[in-house]
Amino acid sequence: MNDIVAEEAAVAASTSAKTTRRPLRKRRAGVLGGVKLALTYAFLIVMAIFALFPIYFVVQASLAGGQNLYSTDLHLLPVQPTLDNYVYAFTKEPLFAWLLNTLLVCGLSTLYGLVASMTGAYALSRARFRGRQLTLTLLLVLQAFPGLLALVAYYYLLQFLQLMDTAPLLGLAIVYAASSIVFSCWNIKGYFDTIPVELEQAALIDGASPWQAFWKITLPLALPALAASALLIFIGGWSEFAVANVLLNANEDGSNLTFILGLYRLQSDFRTPWGYFAATSIIFSVPLIAIFLYAQRFFRSGLTIGGVKG
Amino acid sequence: MKVSRLQIFLYLLPMLLTILVINMTPIVYTLYLSFTNNTLFNDEYKFVGLANYQRLLVGTDSGEFLQVLGLTVLYVVVCVSLFLIVGMLTALALNNPRVKLQALWRGILLIPWATPYAITVLIWKFLFNYDFGPINQILRIFFGPQAGIPWLTEPFWAFVGVVIVNVWLSYPFFMIVILGALQSIPQELLEAASVDGATPWQSFWRVTLPLLRPALLPTTILSSITTFQMFGAVYLITQGGPVTSADKPGATSFVMIYVYNQILSGSAANVQYAKIAAFAIILFIILGALTFLARALGAKDKELYA
Repeated sequence: MNDIVAEEAAVAASTSAKTTRRPLRKRRAGVLGGVKLALTYAFLIVMAIFALFPIYFVVQASLAGGQNLYSTDLHLLPVQPTLDNYVYAFTKEPLFAWLLNTLLVCGLSTLYGLVASMTGAYALSRARFRGRQLTLTLLLVLQAFPGLLALVAYYYLLQFLQLMDTAPLLGLAIVYAASSIVFSCWNIKGYFDTIPVELEQAALIDGASPWQAFWKITLPLALPALAASALLIFIGGWSEFAVANVLLNANEDGSNLTFILGLYRLQSDFRTPWGYFAATSIIFSVPLIAIFLYAQRFFRSGLTIGGVKG
Repeated sequence: MKVSRLQIFLYLLPMLLTILVINMTPIVYTLYLSFTNNTLFNDEYKFVGLANYQRLLVGTDSGEFLQVLGLTVLYVVVCVSLFLIVGMLTALALNNPRVKLQALWRGILLIPWATPYAITVLIWKFLFNYDFGPINQILRIFFGPQAGIPWLTEPFWAFVGVVIVNVWLSYPFFMIVILGALQSIPQELLEAASVDGATPWQSFWRVTLPLLRPALLPTTILSSITTFQMFGAVYLITQGGPVTSADKPGATSFVMIYVYNQILSGSAANVQYAKIAAFAIILFIILGALTFLARALGAKDKELYA
């Protein structure tokens, strides 16, 4: 990194030395421009290697056969590529149970978080009532509190609600939803603020009920913000480890876990070959990457127009 | 718009109920715990006033508290500086109009952002493995079979390791923010600077950078707050270790990890719930102050650059 900064500085310094002699400047600029372009490409290549390095090795390891797992020799390409690791992951691990648990937790928390924050955001955006400012301030203060700090209290709370023994996954979904409500509410409220209230008034004049105006006019218009918020809740739950690790106790084969806990167990267990872990992590990354790439379009407008910045 | 009071209340109800029960109750309970002497084995606990806070801030535990806090601040400063530098350099490279295949480069450089972080973090943990990890294997090609960096066992290298992982995870965000801001700078300004005889170096420092400030400032502060409370990306790799002595926090025991390990009781047999609660409340105050600072600065910047 330092080299590049130093080189750029050197390039810049040599340009400033030449600026006094006009005729030379143009020719020099061509050569220097070429050097600068080459440096730019060199830097981009280094960064691309950095970005792809872990991904490349995990793909490589997932295809490597059992004979070169935990070998001390470096293999850039698998010696005998095989799909054995994937077959193992699908047949010997509680993969579908993990997937189902994760989808259940993420789906429920997204649904719950989105419904609660969009209705709340609508009231905060459109209506003026006593306690509105207080609610907004409360949301801001809560945003500064990482839920992880109150882990002990969460545990007792879910025990009190009888969720720990009966439906720990539901408890987890509720915790995720609650911790994301604050952000999504601010985000969605900011987006609602940009939708002209006249549209709803026109609908009301045409005989729509306030609920219809909200449901049929405002919500469809706020789709980018709703989609972006929903995705952030979903993706957040997909990777969450800390709370899940405390609330979910693994049973015999670990089939009651979310996938990240399962993956962590798989990796902490030294008997599990790296290839199995690699295959499993790819199986769980692909759907999320697909969702992310598809949803990128919503992030641009859904997160910036809402003006989370305040 | 005319809506009845009941309707407003119904709209707010799901959110308020969730916030009050699930978000507020644990905080209030934590606050309450912090004024008691509750531990795992002390069921008949009582109020002790500010004793826990005193212990953490000036008393017997202040050394450990300040060490954890200082380590976290160091981590934030190192990480966020690197986010800014790497993000800026990649954005400048991508903003160079003579670079071909822009979309491809951008796509590749965004990959760390698009992959679920918990998985890539576990992959990094393997890359750092002393015997079998690819990083050390590559080093051995160049420096002989005895070479190898003790990534996860030496305090210094563990710290470096979690910095590298965090830079890998976070530079795409800075890159995108800075690239967006760069593209909104009118080309005429840079041309004018060049006509007036400014070198590229000068026009970067005097024209480009000041114009990037409104985008950089809130991003930097928000990212500092996120890094301050970073948990997963570090815990999944080091669990807060390596621990050099039993009574000291590990070399990557940043605040959240410290709290987590204390709750799960990695070191002591008796979990000091009350002390942890006081620690949590102090962190809450710090984070709250930073959040309001960020908003205040953001608001001031908006007035200046609107």
